[in-house]
Amino acid sequence: MRVEYINPFVESAMSVLQTTVSSEVKRGAPKLSNSINHIMGVAIIVGLAGQVSGRVIIDMSQETALNIASSMNGERLNTFDELVSATLTELGNMITGNAVTKLHQLGFKFDLTPPALFMGDNLRITDAKIEALVVPLELTEGKIEINVAIKENY
Amino acid sequence: MKAKSDFPSLNPKEPDGLKSDGTPYKVMIVDDSMFVKKQLIQIFQSEQYEVLDTAGDGEEAVEKYKEHHPNIDIVTMDITMPKMDGITALEKIIEFDKNAKVIMISALGKQELVKKSLLLGAKNYIVKPLDRKKVLERSLNVLTR
Repeated sequence: MRVEYINPFVESAMSVLQTTVSSEVKRGAPKLSNSINHIMGVAIIVGLAGQVSGRVIIDMSQETALNIASSMNGERLNTFDELVSATLTELGNMITGNAVTKLHQLGFKFDLTPPALFMGDNLRITDAKIEALVVPLELTEGKIEINVAIKENY
Repeated sequence: MKAKSDFPSLNPKEPDGLKSDGTPYKVMIVDDSMFVKKQLIQIFQSEQYEVLDTAGDGEEAVEKYKEHHPNIDIVTMDITMPKMDGITALEKIIEFDKNAKVIMISALGKQELVKKSLLLGAKNYIVKPLDRKKVLERSLNVLTR
């Protein structure tokens, strides 16, 4: 997978998180992920289809998800209710929307699915024949992983 | 004990949400995301706007606009929503009241849709993530134009 594809998502995630969650976001080293990925507990998944296809997963622990939703709402949220889901879905929308603008400017044309929110312990995801790149981001609220698997369609 | 008047006022300007006669502008917020709805309510209420009503999809928005007309000053309209999208709802509202003041709320990456809604009669637009200052500036701009 080309690194050009993941950078817009990571940059977008950093700028959206800096505006809506906390000013300190540290970017970790990217790693190539094997075909089976472990999900930390909460995953926001957005699919891509068009000239390129694949998916983006924004992955974090349940605790981090609650911390982030709390920061975005300016109040402490302790349970996964409708507001927390709406907040995390919106986070997914903002991060991917922003990144797609950049990729469209680079000439890649594709559509996005609305974000789907997955939650659970011991979740794993398998991608058929697409390798994934993962970039960890460190915030005061916890760790987030931006996991991107995209391939070009010829 | 200190009275409120003992503190210097850092923000001596009148709240944006009040008309010159002191009554509040009335806003309707249309968005399917509870999070965005809540954010907008907080922003508008902080400047003393009256949040008259909210709607979660385009159909509800059109219905409620007709119900409240002419008692509604401004509408914020999300673009992507279930049942009826914000652009169709905008069209129907403008059809009903050609002077309706509608501001589109858009995710990034939807420039084409924003352009389309401006051509259809939306008065302005705001791109998410919502910035309090931008929301207030653009709303006031639309209201006082």
